[in-house]
Amino acid sequence: MTNRLPWWMGGILLSGLLLLTFSIYGADRPIGASTYVPYFAGVIFDLDPDKYSYLKEIKNAGSWEGVMLFGSLVGGFVTSIFITKSFRLSLIPTAWKKYKNGSIISRLIWSFIAGFIMIIGARLAGGCTSGHFMSGMSQLAISSMIFGTVVMISLLITGRYFYNTKKDK
Amino acid sequence: MDIVVVTEGQDLLSRVAQMMENVIHQGHGSLALVFLIGIIFGGIIQYTRVDKFEKIAGFAMLKDTIVPKMLFLTVGLTSIGLYFMIKVGWAHYHIKPIIWQGLIIGGILFGIAMAILGKCPGTGPVSIAEGRIDVLVGAIGGLIGGLVFTLYYDDFFKPLMGDSLGKLTLLDFFKGHEDLVILIFGIVVTLIAILIPKVELFDDADLSKLPDEARPDKK
Repeated sequence: MTNRLPWWMGGILLSGLLLLTFSIYGADRPIGASTYVPYFAGVIFDLDPDKYSYLKEIKNAGSWEGVMLFGSLVGGFVTSIFITKSFRLSLIPTAWKKYKNGSIISRLIWSFIAGFIMIIGARLAGGCTSGHFMSGMSQLAISSMIFGTVVMISLLITGRYFYNTKKDK
Repeated sequence: MDIVVVTEGQDLLSRVAQMMENVIHQGHGSLALVFLIGIIFGGIIQYTRVDKFEKIAGFAMLKDTIVPKMLFLTVGLTSIGLYFMIKVGWAHYHIKPIIWQGLIIGGILFGIAMAILGKCPGTGPVSIAEGRIDVLVGAIGGLIGGLVFTLYYDDFFKPLMGDSLGKLTLLDFFKGHEDLVILIFGIVVTLIAILIPKVELFDDADLSKLPDEARPDKK
């Protein structure tokens, strides 16, 4: 058995999963993966769901994605142990050491900041890579195409200037 | 089968139980199915290794193109499949509204964060599941972000998002030619996925546990 799936197999499988999720015999909704974050924030920081309008708005989507998230933690864990053999505890990615710096503290601080900005951004736009890019573009939604274009530009500019990309030459 | 669970408490466990109850009663698949969708999703993401920092941050540096290739292929195939499923009544569109300010400000922030963290909200949890502690710290940042967003939604974030201009799709601009437009879109996007040159940034720490013949970087 191969230890890594090629990109085209991943694309075909993800497409099958998306179609199953969309179908009325499946879940009759798109896949999304950022609404669960404020939902969990509400649970963990013990916010009263009746008091905050946003928690009321995301009650259904947030809990759906929350359950899906538990599933993907299990799926990811099992696959990393038994198939790709890539489970290991680590604090800093190899490419971060190469193209940014070797400091664990720097990686952790930037991770925290990026995580914070990421969720604010996703919730402002109403979706993320899964909800907008994957599910939204598959429905030819104009909103998702706008989001996808802006993210692509912002991602590439950040990649260009945040990292020292010339290092391997 | 109707399951009724009494879940009225405010403690953490009851709120997780309420979450499951919400899923059971909202009619978007059974609890087991939603969980299974998650397992398969996590499995695919892990098995293709697109949750790695080297894949997303690597794409931001244009040193790896697996993520866009896989994403565009998924979109190309799904767009055609979904359209015909909707035609025969097996699915519905669920379009997100056009909120210009929200999409642009949100997109800029999201892109910056994705390049730095090297994950997105879907792939992040999968890499936490395989032991990436730096991403767990990112997730805590994300939870604080979710908290701030919830607390200041009415006063700050909702006005910042601007008004919705409706839920348009590309098909609305080509009334009467939907079949043709969807085929062209699906095929063009699939071709883009195939034509993007394949570049890969490998992580030795990830591959060193594998025997040499199983390593994709030594082929």
